[in-house]
Amino acid sequence: MFKVEGLKFKYPKNESDVINGIDFEINKGEIFGFLGPSGAGKSTTQKIMIKILEDFRGKISYNGKDITEYKDDFYESIGVSFEMPIHFSKMTALENIEFFLKLYKKNADIETLMKRVGLWEDKDKMVGEFSKGMKIRLNIVRALLNEPEMLFLDEPTNGLDPKNAMILKDMIREFRADGGTVFITSHIMSDIDQLCDRVAFIVDGEIKEMDSPRNLKIKYGKRSMNVEYKENNETIKVEFPMDNIGKNSEFINLLQTKDIETIHSGETTLEDIFIKVTGVGLKDE
Amino acid sequence: MNSRLAILVKGELHRLHKYNLTSVSVLVALIWGVFLFFLDSSLDTMLPFVLVMDATMMSIMYVGAVMFFEKSESTISTMLVTPVTNSELVLSKVLANTLHNMFASALIITVFMIIKDVSINIPLVVIAILLTTAFHTTLGVFMAYYQKDFTGMLVNVMIFSFVLFVPSVLFLLNVISGPIWEAILLINPIQAGQEIILAAFKDYEFTYKYYFSLSYLIVLGILGYKYFVLPKFQDYAVKQSGV
Repeated sequence: MFKVEGLKFKYPKNESDVINGIDFEINKGEIFGFLGPSGAGKSTTQKIMIKILEDFRGKISYNGKDITEYKDDFYESIGVSFEMPIHFSKMTALENIEFFLKLYKKNADIETLMKRVGLWEDKDKMVGEFSKGMKIRLNIVRALLNEPEMLFLDEPTNGLDPKNAMILKDMIREFRADGGTVFITSHIMSDIDQLCDRVAFIVDGEIKEMDSPRNLKIKYGKRSMNVEYKENNETIKVEFPMDNIGKNSEFINLLQTKDIETIHSGETTLEDIFIKVTGVGLKDE
Repeated sequence: MNSRLAILVKGELHRLHKYNLTSVSVLVALIWGVFLFFLDSSLDTMLPFVLVMDATMMSIMYVGAVMFFEKSESTISTMLVTPVTNSELVLSKVLANTLHNMFASALIITVFMIIKDVSINIPLVVIAILLTTAFHTTLGVFMAYYQKDFTGMLVNVMIFSFVLFVPSVLFLLNVISGPIWEAILLINPIQAGQEIILAAFKDYEFTYKYYFSLSYLIVLGILGYKYFVLPKFQDYAVKQSGV
């Protein structure tokens, strides 16, 4: 659906490129994530893809057509949610949404959308009175009001409490289930891990690794089983190699004879893998 | 007017009201009205002066205020990712501000036509105010691109006033006069606005100055919009998105 080839970009006031020749493809119906620390080039890449930033080098195509050939009808088929809440604060939530709704040919049902994010009750409140979480939820409504084919979400759960973050993640999954495609940029590992079909690790404008979270865990994770059992009022931890675990007599014996408290696979987190691959922490920079 | 532009203009007017700029505008019109009401002797000079001030300096201030509200809320970034074109965005601001200013001026004119029996050629004054306001609003949009805050904008408007408005007013009040000043002031857009607004009042003598001023505002406005205001809009809007 989106194909990015040899993308390079330099801000006019910078001496060097902030995006250094990246290639990736987003398939239709996929949730694709860009994971990286602040300043890695995630938002810049997104701004290029949504045609806010021009003068890039390389090629980007959307549905087989170069994005530079698209006019403003490009925005009829995409929805964008910026990291920061962006609304007219002295207008009500409904006034904000209705204003933007009229600018599109396709219109979603606002009531359903606002109810889904729990804002329908507050539709007549001034947005200036909203909490940050409410404003972010309104951002999502705004991004979805033209029933887009593709969603661009910049740090979508940043600033949301766990309950609202869960609602938002469910909405993203529902959007994908209905055939939508999503591009997410985030520095929050759990968002990417829970939502994305594929993820690219980006640092200093370069993609260091790209695959599904599962494959990355298999590729870089530690293949082990950790067992905790109780003996003489003490918790004892034992680690077994994952390979041929079913034939490991010591492991089987332990399961049969000991008072087991926990069993976990020694799965490495995406954040650990990110650090291992890039040498940079997600909260760095 | 296409439907999207109409939606944008309506939205701009709605926000002018919501952000209290319409109230400010009406209040300013009332203050001028009261001031002029008690001014019997030089009403013929002062009423055009007020209309010129409203159509020039106040237009720049209002559109500047609107754009700084937008800057503080970064709403222009959201507009960039809608099917709206840059020209529709700029034109909607110019049209909305022009209509908004026309409304304030119409208030003053109506009151004085009824209470003070002032004789004004309505079609001429409407054309003059619309044209002068549209020109100065476009100028205000351009000035707002380069200011970080509203205070900076105010300073620029003060400088603009000092350089262009003061000579024009001094000429209106006959403090400065003569053919040299007349020629110099012809290239002053505020003077051009003043000239075409004065034409709506009785005893105005139509000379080449009227037609020059009218053409000057139209041509300079279109060229300024096409070659400066519109091309720079994308850079301005992208900066508001945090770049």
